[in-house]
Amino acid sequence: MASAPRPATFGGIPQILDVLKEQGYIADRALATSVHLSIVLNKPLLIEGEAGVGKTEVAKVMARALGTDLIRLQCYEGLDVHTALYEWNYQRQMLRIKLEEASLRPVEDKEHVIFSEPFLLKRPLLQAITAERAPVLLIDEVDRADEEFEAFLLEVLSDFQVSIPEIGTITARQIPYVVLTSNRTRELSDALRRRCLYLWIDYPSFDKELRIVHSKVPAINDRLAEQICAFMQLVRTVPLSKVPGIAETIDWSAALLALHRDHLDAQAVEETLGCLCKDQEDLVRVRTQYLAPILDTVRTAGLATDGWNPERIASLAAQLPKTR
Amino acid sequence: MRPGNLGANVTLFGRRLRDRGLLVGAAEIGDALRALTAVNIADREEVRVALRTVFASSAADLPVFDEEFRRFFAEAAATETPPLPNADDDGAQGPEGAPGETERAELSVTEWSGEEQSPDEERSVPAYSPAEVKARKDFSAFSADDLAAISQLIMLIARRIATRLSRRMRSARRGTLVDLRRTMRRSLQFGGDAVELLWRRRRVRKAKLVLLCDVSGSMDIYSRFLVQFVYALQDALGRVESFLFSTSLTRVTDALDRRDIQSALAEASRRVPDWSGGTKIGASLKTFNERYGARLLDPRTIVVICSDGWDTGDLEILVDAMRALRARAGKVIWLNPLLGSPGYEPVTQGMSAALPYVDVFASAHSVRSLRELERHLRGPRPSSRARAAAWARDAGGDRP
Repeated sequence: MASAPRPATFGGIPQILDVLKEQGYIADRALATSVHLSIVLNKPLLIEGEAGVGKTEVAKVMARALGTDLIRLQCYEGLDVHTALYEWNYQRQMLRIKLEEASLRPVEDKEHVIFSEPFLLKRPLLQAITAERAPVLLIDEVDRADEEFEAFLLEVLSDFQVSIPEIGTITARQIPYVVLTSNRTRELSDALRRRCLYLWIDYPSFDKELRIVHSKVPAINDRLAEQICAFMQLVRTVPLSKVPGIAETIDWSAALLALHRDHLDAQAVEETLGCLCKDQEDLVRVRTQYLAPILDTVRTAGLATDGWNPERIASLAAQLPKTR
Repeated sequence: MRPGNLGANVTLFGRRLRDRGLLVGAAEIGDALRALTAVNIADREEVRVALRTVFASSAADLPVFDEEFRRFFAEAAATETPPLPNADDDGAQGPEGAPGETERAELSVTEWSGEEQSPDEERSVPAYSPAEVKARKDFSAFSADDLAAISQLIMLIARRIATRLSRRMRSARRGTLVDLRRTMRRSLQFGGDAVELLWRRRRVRKAKLVLLCDVSGSMDIYSRFLVQFVYALQDALGRVESFLFSTSLTRVTDALDRRDIQSALAEASRRVPDWSGGTKIGASLKTFNERYGARLLDPRTIVVICSDGWDTGDLEILVDAMRALRARAGKVIWLNPLLGSPGYEPVTQGMSAALPYVDVFASAHSVRSLRELERHLRGPRPSSRARAAAWARDAGGDRP
């Protein structure tokens, strides 16, 4: 197996942090360290976390830090080798056959020609393997693919070579940097987990989320931003079927700003609750059971000065009403 | 950490993690050592993150890792020396250091190994009670002598159901896609005209199975068999998630994921804190929805609940939980062992409250009834219209 020397220009953890910042991605050192190790050890990085915490972004940042291409394979149920690896370019093959209709070449020769590399449509996995420079290969939402595909993927990630019956075995010129993301809708196999380094991305802390809001919605005032983030921290502790992520926070902030709100009140939240809850039952539950108590908590707790640390949020959350 | 003992320390730490169930082997230890050369080793936080990135492989590993990391480095700090310079002896002999340090290191290792045996590990599967035998030709009617034979039969049936299911899933739905590659090949013989189209089948989407089995006191006679059935189905079918419940819910998928049925059942019973206790079906299902619903339920999931419907909890919770379950799952099957008894009507309050949200209500009181289960496991509800109608009915109701 060839090993890919990392580019001389790669500057380690500080550079990753810089790139993250440039991209508007507020990250902690832990994330940068994991990305760094994945690059240095050249092992795939498996990223798990709830929906909407920015898992996919990490691959983009990694590509940027390495100054290389990002190749993305979006997984879904029923994803097969033809979509992930390669497919023959049938239109082109057909044209070629028509052009050669008159030629007296034996059928075997013609077959050999149309099943050669120029007629191959490279799908993401093959693109990643045959790239001149090691790209970042993002295998997104791998939990959505079938177990069979996962097994195939494991094979590719172990050997970085694939065999195409008509052509033969193709071995990677450079080992790509691989990032896999999973929303944990299905448990991945232990074998795949062992192939990978592991990074868990949690919902952001209050401080981190506040920085994210300020960076993505710069026009927002401090008080509203703080109230939004406090509200988010609390609403994530109540039982919902779809817990709102960072994207929801940003959408909500932008919506409140567009409505010229400068603080949170019951009316403002009611009007914009759709940004937060994307599920009818959640929406009803938040509106009827949690909206008032959370707002109360945010309002009274907001006056205190000791910040929104995790212990404080947990104790405030414990005072919210329980579900029936 | 002393660089000189880095290898030994990382090895020992890795072993501890492996003992606690993390996926750590020689390869991971090698990776960890390489990782430590790539970070600032003087920075404790960076070392922690680096080791965690290598050694952890799922979210469940993280708290275990953090706990062990704290413990390991607390020891190192307390002794001013690495916990065990020699990793090969695993703490059987102390290092050749000062006596005090040796004691300290040994003590911690002893503490550690002592923790592996939890006090309730001795608990075994509740025994079948012959006194409970009733004059019905169902599980409760078999003599204790028949138990082994029945168990075998149950395993056989589960395997057969599983193989039949997977075969059916493979051959369901005719292929509708043209296999262009083979068609093109064939066409070469005819100068490039696709005279004959060759087809390929679309990959068949398999159903997932979630099994929720009641092991409360009122189910005692049946639960032993049903849990075996759950074990066998899971063993043969894959794609099965198994849970046991009485007053609370316990996930036992990995406990049952053992080759040996006896140890699998023992492990499962060890994990269930309240085997043969009371029943809170509603609360258990609610826990399931909240904790696992988003991950496990989708329109292709078949949920099988084995319970007699005796719920001692709040009925409203049960109704809410069933509604939520049905809205997300493809099919809800309720197996009730009492259904086999002549003249049984689902009169228990819990059962009648849950019934509107059940797609299939079947019995599970005998070997034969388990065999018939296969019919129901074929696939999700056929009509999405019926579901939409049910949903509209629910939504239109007097909800808060």
